[in-house]
Amino acid sequence: MDKKKLTAKDFITVGIFTAIVFVVEFACGILGFIHPYIVASYVVMIPIVASIPMMLFYSKVDKFGMITIMSVLIAIIMFVAGMGFLGAPLIILAGVIADFIAKAGDYKQFKMIAISYAVFCLWICANYFPVIVTANSYRKSLLEEGYSAEYTDSLFRAINSKTIWVLLILCLIFGYIGSYIGKIVVKKHFEKAGIV
Amino acid sequence: MKNIIEIKDVSFQYKGSEEGLLNNVSLNIAQGETVLLCGASGSGKTTIIRLINGLIPHYYPGEYSGSVFVDGHDIKNTELYDLAGVVGTVFQNPRSQFFSVDTDGEIVFGPENIGLNPNEIRRRSAMVVKDMNLEKLMGRSLFDLSGGEKQKIACGSVSALLPNVVLLDEPSSNLDWDAIKDLKNEIVKWKSEGKTIVISEHRLWYLKDLLNRVIYMDSGEIAGEYNGDEFFAFTDSKIRGLKLRPVKIEEKYIDKFSDISSGQGALRNFSDYGDSIKLKNFYFTYKRRPYIFRKKKLSANDADILNLNMPELDLPKGKVIGIIGRNGTGKSTFLRCLCGLEMDCTGEIIYRNKKYRGKDLTNLSYLVMQDVNHQLFTDSVEAEVLLSMKEKDIDKCSEILERLGLLEFKDKHPMALSGGQKQRVAIASAIAAGAKLLLFDEPTSGLDYSHMVKVAELLKELAVSGSTVLVSTHDPELIELCCDYIIRIDDGKVISSDFRNCAMDLHTDKDYNLDNRLEEDNENAV
Amino acid sequence: MKIKLDPRTKIYMIFVVSAIVMMSATTPFLWGLRILTTMVPIALLIAEKRYASALRFFALYISALILTFYFLSSESTGLIRALLTGYCGIIAQFLPAFITAWYVIHSTKIDEFMAAMQKMHVPDGITISFAVVMRFFPTIKEEYGSIRDAMKMRGIFLAGGNAAKMVEYRIIPLLFSCVNIGDELSAAAITRGLGGKVKRTSVVELKLHVFDWLLILLFSIATVIFILNKYILL
Repeated sequence: MDKKKLTAKDFITVGIFTAIVFVVEFACGILGFIHPYIVASYVVMIPIVASIPMMLFYSKVDKFGMITIMSVLIAIIMFVAGMGFLGAPLIILAGVIADFIAKAGDYKQFKMIAISYAVFCLWICANYFPVIVTANSYRKSLLEEGYSAEYTDSLFRAINSKTIWVLLILCLIFGYIGSYIGKIVVKKHFEKAGIV
Repeated sequence: MKNIIEIKDVSFQYKGSEEGLLNNVSLNIAQGETVLLCGASGSGKTTIIRLINGLIPHYYPGEYSGSVFVDGHDIKNTELYDLAGVVGTVFQNPRSQFFSVDTDGEIVFGPENIGLNPNEIRRRSAMVVKDMNLEKLMGRSLFDLSGGEKQKIACGSVSALLPNVVLLDEPSSNLDWDAIKDLKNEIVKWKSEGKTIVISEHRLWYLKDLLNRVIYMDSGEIAGEYNGDEFFAFTDSKIRGLKLRPVKIEEKYIDKFSDISSGQGALRNFSDYGDSIKLKNFYFTYKRRPYIFRKKKLSANDADILNLNMPELDLPKGKVIGIIGRNGTGKSTFLRCLCGLEMDCTGEIIYRNKKYRGKDLTNLSYLVMQDVNHQLFTDSVEAEVLLSMKEKDIDKCSEILERLGLLEFKDKHPMALSGGQKQRVAIASAIAAGAKLLLFDEPTSGLDYSHMVKVAELLKELAVSGSTVLVSTHDPELIELCCDYIIRIDDGKVISSDFRNCAMDLHTDKDYNLDNRLEEDNENAV
Repeated sequence: MKIKLDPRTKIYMIFVVSAIVMMSATTPFLWGLRILTTMVPIALLIAEKRYASALRFFALYISALILTFYFLSSESTGLIRALLTGYCGIIAQFLPAFITAWYVIHSTKIDEFMAAMQKMHVPDGITISFAVVMRFFPTIKEEYGSIRDAMKMRGIFLAGGNAAKMVEYRIIPLLFSCVNIGDELSAAAITRGLGGKVKRTSVVELKLHVFDWLLILLFSIATVIFILNKYILL
């Protein structure tokens, strides 16, 4: 049997964890309704909370493709959920790179997994792309019509083409930190319970 | 007759585990035979099922020697998906074995996987739906079906692949009595089609008259082989000697306990039995009227919409109380209301002259869920118990663990324990929180005989030490062994309640002789 | 009237609406076009007999539009107005995409999605994983419901205000449950032939009907006019 080929079980594992990660994303996303600045803080919150299921997921990954498929699924769901299509290629790109990085560590070396997860977390920023694109044209149209920049609301103030770089870097950093938190939790619970 | 299943000298041990070990097992099953695999948990029944459907060695790796042939396929060298049209398996848990979200998708799932032509799939699906009377279930979400209905769909999904061999792995574990009767009909149908059927099962009564052969497993070996009629003629004490669930009396009990018309027992005078716990105004409905009327308090006047309608009820304190009734009649709703999970429920409990209602109920009572995994949160048994204490008291915690026989596991992760141990951890945390009413939802579903007896003993002990235990159950033996009081619920109402003498009080020698008990009952009835 | 759209049409619809959402309207004509495209999913919701949600979306969208125009055209500033403009701006901007997504999700069965993906030559592996995701959303909801009940009984629903514990107590039992269900689900699915070498088939027949073509045409024209008007003819 070809050890490198993905099996039905792998596809199911990917599906389950994608669903869980998405639910985590959604639960954090709801908080964004409270204030637009919380939307910007997704880059801190989601990498850390999602690290728990993701580190458990990484412990089950041993072949190339699983992380990539997860990113494709996230891209599809984000698209269908009305988050636009600009993010999709970026989500998948982040997934493929993350997959290669983890593969370089043979899906076992934790250092590589931590970096891989940090890169994977960049998909969260893909959510911002429609906002950024909109923000630019929105702001422009407002200014053209003679309104002060004050009117550009706080969402667009927090997330625009200038701040996105900060957000991307924050995302990487907290993804990296998150992977350690996730690892500790996986060890505390799942290894102790003997299911990893 | 031709052997369709040939298991030859198979030894097997799961990777990284000592459980489910098989020792040099050989077994031949002929085309068209219906065979039962029985024995205690961990005796290797399920392992044999997995040998035949190929999950061993392809899905569950381990140390494997010997060979298995099914319908000419060498299992070890055949990919699992190539066996799909040869062997079909119905699994234990109705919740986890369906792949689709709706019933139609589930029936055609197998045929789609093996790439059949859509017209052929439609033909098969129509045939299965007709043969198995699934019309009413079609076009529905699987998440809205009851356990029994899900199990029916699982049978249909297996049938659509037209396998020659059908395996059933403890299929009745999560089913109530009516659903078990439906399951029996499915098996009868398959048998009449000439399929070879292998069933691994704890509950045996419903298989009467269906079996050609019975294989008795013990510690990974075939310890006995009987002809079907011979097996069902065994006395109950012989069956119990084999640590099996009874083959005859369970059915009699079902008739006895499910007969709603009987036993219009009026509420007795409780003074003979000590205190009582008073329940008042337990009204609840899932069918809430429109949003604007939400604040309106439910009362007996809303009878037409009530799912729970109990104006007044007395419960004996310090007893084991069995709650019985058909599925969907409000047993679970009753338990949920008692422990304060349904905030809209208007009921109040008077316990030792103190009134509890709404949120307070969570302090008075605690529900041990059917799937106990949901209520374990921490990383050690000790932490789990301490979590329930407002003031962390290690000594008291150890004392509780000692009482429940968990002290040696105090540093283990709750999820690493066996099902019965997890149940006890949940009980320990309930006691630590000071719960006086312990509620159990189907605590013995899927348990073998000896584990069921252990649960019965535990419930009894809890009651003796002062807790009041309410147990909702379909397990007639459990009721017989440990319930002091029975409440029958129908349509959300208590239709009868009465004291009874349970087997455990009468027979302290721990040989709870149910045969005699039933005869006594019958004499009393006459 | 019941309109059965092909899933591929719906996917195209999401694509177009998300595009139009991102290009902000600057002239009354463009606003008109945007509003027009937004009315299509609302009309489709009505055709699906989802009157309540159609009405809710319609009311929300219209009031957001009115408020935006009103406040933007008045000279005054102030915190509340700024906030209100912000929210209304976001709603007017992104609600069309949300309505479309809501319509598509509530009117399409998972089998249809899978069949559409197969038709569009998406590899089987991705289709299978996607089906599992869809099957697990309701499972997670069920499991989380039980966990929440258990937390209420234990009095740890808010975990004493400790955010880390709040997350831990929810996510750990959920993961244990999902992993267990997943293992049993895999075994059950594999014994029914999942993951074989043959190409999966589907009983769902997909065909683009007149109405599909009509909508595709309508949306294509709208996109072209939008882009022409905004970027090229200006």
